Amino acid sequence: MSWVAHDIEPYVIQKHLGKRVAIVPLLIGSYAPDMATKWFVYGAGAFGFELKADNPAQFHRGFPGVGFTHSLSFGVAVALLIYVIWKSRIWALSFLIGQWAHALTDTLDTVGTMLFFPFTTQLFSAGAWAYAGQTGRYTDAGAYFSGLGFAYDGFWLVWGVLSWRVLTRAYFRETIVPADPFWGKAGQYLPEVALLAIYRISFFYGACRWIAWLIWAHVVRSFAFDFSWGGPKWVDAVRSEDLNASGCHCPSCCSASPKLALSLAVAVGSRVTRRARRGGAST
Amino acid sequence: MTELRLYLAAAAAYIGIGVAVPELLFSWVECAAFLLLAVWVLPALLERLR
Repeated sequence: MSWVAHDIEPYVIQKHLGKRVAIVPLLIGSYAPDMATKWFVYGAGAFGFELKADNPAQFHRGFPGVGFTHSLSFGVAVALLIYVIWKSRIWALSFLIGQWAHALTDTLDTVGTMLFFPFTTQLFSAGAWAYAGQTGRYTDAGAYFSGLGFAYDGFWLVWGVLSWRVLTRAYFRETIVPADPFWGKAGQYLPEVALLAIYRISFFYGACRWIAWLIWAHVVRSFAFDFSWGGPKWVDAVRSEDLNASGCHCPSCCSASPKLALSLAVAVGSRVTRRARRGGAST
Repeated sequence: MTELRLYLAAAAAYIGIGVAVPELLFSWVECAAFLLLAVWVLPALLERLR
């Protein structure tokens, strides 16, 4: 998993695509795969009860689990849904780009993502840094900010800082606001200074978090740096091989992913055919 | 330039509080509330009080 890249990547993408994308769905797409599921990976307690996945890595990235949220087809499915409901091409495209950025970024850790779900439940992983979500969020933070993960985030932070023009008031007025009616509607209730703060929140959050976690991990606590591939080695990392080998092989699970793939293909196919028929009838 | 200074001050404060109370660093919503308070609500209140 990545701690800061998902906050900063949308601004760098925004810089390169300008008015062809909208920042709000780009950010939503970038956060979407973890939005409703991360708390269950780390666990949450209330009134003496603790809710936590039995196998956090399997739940987060695998199948059975919610690993499908990190697949390329999940981005396509939600983008199509956005397009069908709101008829906004820019929102659909921006969500898709944001979600794909997240899914591809997360292939860099030792667990990786099921990029081609539902066609296969194989996890694709480059294994650059340790996946340690199962150890709890503080150990995970310490491990992440001691290995190549924090260096990767640093790369995006530097690229984000070099793209500083996207954060200016002039860019906001000339590119962000005209590209997305959301800002016009929000502007009816909020002054520009608040809209600008809302626009910049994720960059602010990512940049500050990167610095704060680094200080916390190496000044307040004493986690050891280890920039080896797949490190830090002092943490018990989960690897894609473990999950790929331990997937459920019961007939129900084995037939579930082809069935889902077929359902998705039929849904997309029928939608495209209906649109084509409608287009043909109107001409 | 005043705006940049305000954001830098907010960042320094957020990092300081975040290092002391790392729980805060997990929440995007709390960060959003903090930033809005620091760069919009508080300056607007101070402006009104002057």
